Amino acid sequence: MDHFPGTWGRPRNDVYGAYDPTYLQTTGPKTHTSSPAVTGTSVIGVKFNGGVVLATDNLASYGSLARFTDVKRLRVFGDNAVVGFGGDVSDMQYIDRLLESIDIRENYSTHGNMLNAKNLHTYLAKVFYKRRSEFNPLWNHVLVAGFDVDGKPFLSSADLLGTTFSAPHLATGFGAHLAVPILRRRFPEEMPIEEITREEAVSALKDCLKVLFYRDARSIDKYSIAVITKEGIDLKEDEQIEGQSWAFAERIRGYGRQTN
Amino acid sequence: MDKLVAQYSRPQHQNEFYSEQEQQDLTESVPPLSLKFALPPVDNHASFLRAMTDDLANPSCPIKLAHGTTTLAFRFQGGIIVCTDSRATAGNWIASQTVKKVIPVSRLSRGEDKPTNEPTPGLLGTMAGGAADCQYWLRYLSQQCTLHEIRHKRRITVAAASKILANLTYAYKGYGLSMGTMLAGVTPQEGPALYYIDSDGTRLPGNLFCVGSGQTFAYGVLDANYKYEMSEEEALALGRRAILAAMHRDAYSGGFINLYHVKEEGWVHHGFDDMNPIFWKTKLDNGEFSNVTSAL
Amino acid sequence: MTSLLGHPAGGEGIGYSFSQPTAAPVKQHGFYPYTDNGGSTLGITGSDFAILAGDTRSTSGYNINSRMVPKVFKIGGDDETGEGAHIVLSVVGFAADGNALKERLDAVVKMYKYQHGKPMSVSACAQRLSTILYQKRFFPYYVTAILSGLDEEGKGALYSYDPVGSYEREQCRAAGAAASLIMPFLDNQVNFKNQYIPGSGEGHALEQKKAEPLPQATVEQLVRDAFTSAVERHIEVGDHLQMMIITRDGIQEVFHPLKKD
Repeated sequence: MDHFPGTWGRPRNDVYGAYDPTYLQTTGPKTHTSSPAVTGTSVIGVKFNGGVVLATDNLASYGSLARFTDVKRLRVFGDNAVVGFGGDVSDMQYIDRLLESIDIRENYSTHGNMLNAKNLHTYLAKVFYKRRSEFNPLWNHVLVAGFDVDGKPFLSSADLLGTTFSAPHLATGFGAHLAVPILRRRFPEEMPIEEITREEAVSALKDCLKVLFYRDARSIDKYSIAVITKEGIDLKEDEQIEGQSWAFAERIRGYGRQTN
Repeated sequence: MDKLVAQYSRPQHQNEFYSEQEQQDLTESVPPLSLKFALPPVDNHASFLRAMTDDLANPSCPIKLAHGTTTLAFRFQGGIIVCTDSRATAGNWIASQTVKKVIPVSRLSRGEDKPTNEPTPGLLGTMAGGAADCQYWLRYLSQQCTLHEIRHKRRITVAAASKILANLTYAYKGYGLSMGTMLAGVTPQEGPALYYIDSDGTRLPGNLFCVGSGQTFAYGVLDANYKYEMSEEEALALGRRAILAAMHRDAYSGGFINLYHVKEEGWVHHGFDDMNPIFWKTKLDNGEFSNVTSAL
Repeated sequence: MTSLLGHPAGGEGIGYSFSQPTAAPVKQHGFYPYTDNGGSTLGITGSDFAILAGDTRSTSGYNINSRMVPKVFKIGGDDETGEGAHIVLSVVGFAADGNALKERLDAVVKMYKYQHGKPMSVSACAQRLSTILYQKRFFPYYVTAILSGLDEEGKGALYSYDPVGSYEREQCRAAGAAASLIMPFLDNQVNFKNQYIPGSGEGHALEQKKAEPLPQATVEQLVRDAFTSAVERHIEVGDHLQMMIITRDGIQEVFHPLKKD
């Protein structure tokens, strides 16, 4: 403790060493997944009347390299819950194994797998929070979609720090910047989700994926989309973004050989 | 063999969630005042803590803790005077102007002032440095003092109480605690006794201490006017005046003047008074602080 | 959790000015365990009620995560709706830490009720919250908490905390991103700071106006004003105002819209 009046009560440099700001930084070599290697980009989701849609593209990047072009980032849990993963792919696969083991254990129990999407989200958020408290984070940002106890559509997010939040439409990564404004415009937040049809929701997500493909350099035009309703999960994993129009690219100036 | 099978037949995810022990710890089994602390899982946790909380070395550090500042205590023929300011700062932000920096350490009155004019038996502790550190450890000390009283059927001496605290702070040396505290009390064995204890593990008996960022200003006034033979009124006025000087000159001190007198029967509270009217009264009536203009 | 007593202090050992400097190994760190989710909370008490309020915006950086993430929680209620609770906690700062803290305190208050057969008093809960925060002294919860309820005499009680558990009972307190905007307003309007009684004297003899408990309707309006004003000047505050009004009859939760820009 420093006893000089001006700095009173603070740690003394000659005892504790100089102030070390590296703890506040997020770069440098690491022993855990302290920055992700192979990553997936945005996950986007929106609630509609009677269900939830979730979509991701099928790319796993290695830095700026589009390394794996056929990686499915939507995972089904139980009868009607889907998890969409952004962030580190190895951690995604670990969580996938973890969820599988829970699913198996639940199914062996007398009552069957009763965990709904809300339970799953609570569990995942706690796993994330525990791992961040150990400084060994699972480097993901996930969206969990499905139904809650009352059978109402459920969509919520959890990230590597354990932060959770829920909204009628959510997006992670680049999607938070590009997709959320589109979704907020199309489905204003005061609009009850009962007024949103499945078709509207699906087409909105497809448009978002298209915009993300135009502007997010870590995205690809192949995507997965899951529609979760009471009837079950309609998961399509080999979709192609259609109706692309690159006409806008003509107007972009300042890159490549065109400089004015 | 069974152990081996058990070890390898379970998926590694089994450990992903909190263990039963940890879950129990989370609910109730941790006694309220324990010595179990969660540590950040890094090599040098003091350095981590400092990176997060030292608002002086890095004004934009994320977590700003409340810090207390000027406190003083001195012995005189009529007992011990304890006087503090009431400001807590977090960085440049004044977190509170109403902090109670004198904490009763005794079984009969835990932490809160009783509305009585009778002297309350027990010790007084003061709070400078990290507000939480002082509150927690003085409460812990309070618990230990009570246990002592139950075990030995007599009040703990100030020497023993201060030693409990000093041993604690010494055990946690290097962890990043920040506290400078004074323990004052009158016991049959010692008479009036005053000790200074800080988070480095220092423990000093003495006649007169000022602690905190405003300590120098308070020392200035106190050293100039202090006499052991003072009357009670003179001693109370001196304590108040020394804190007033520190509040005036030290930006990290201010708010209310909290004044206590410890005597043989126990301690007596002599008010928690706004410094502003006292300052103007001191200036206008006594002609002090003449560098300050009084023109409105 | 580790018990610290009896262990040698410090991970790498500390150096002193008089000792040879030990070459501290250069350690790089890749993980920063905190984030700030913005928002602001505010509590004011009266003679027979307490109000704890917060906005419901959750941010990360310049992004709005969601417009409906409540920061004020009922503690020790029977089920998810918080039925039967009599204590309210608000947390602002890092939301995940806040959630962990809330669940921790909730568990403690419930265990207390089951083990003692009576609800935990607000002052006991306040002390317990302080120790819970202090257990994480060396790896703090990045939150500013406010706890509120009614004390044994039925008066409104409000306790404010720093991230590592120093606490104090107060009349009013604002915390979080807009604390520096709201708190001076409350000093003036609740504690009547720098308000003088007209005609009570000349110059320095002018008398300070004494603070006294405000009626509930006034306080509700103050809370709304504080938030609508904070929304105008702070980007991390907005969307909805969540208000918990604690009276003898229980806890009433109200939402008001705030600006959504």
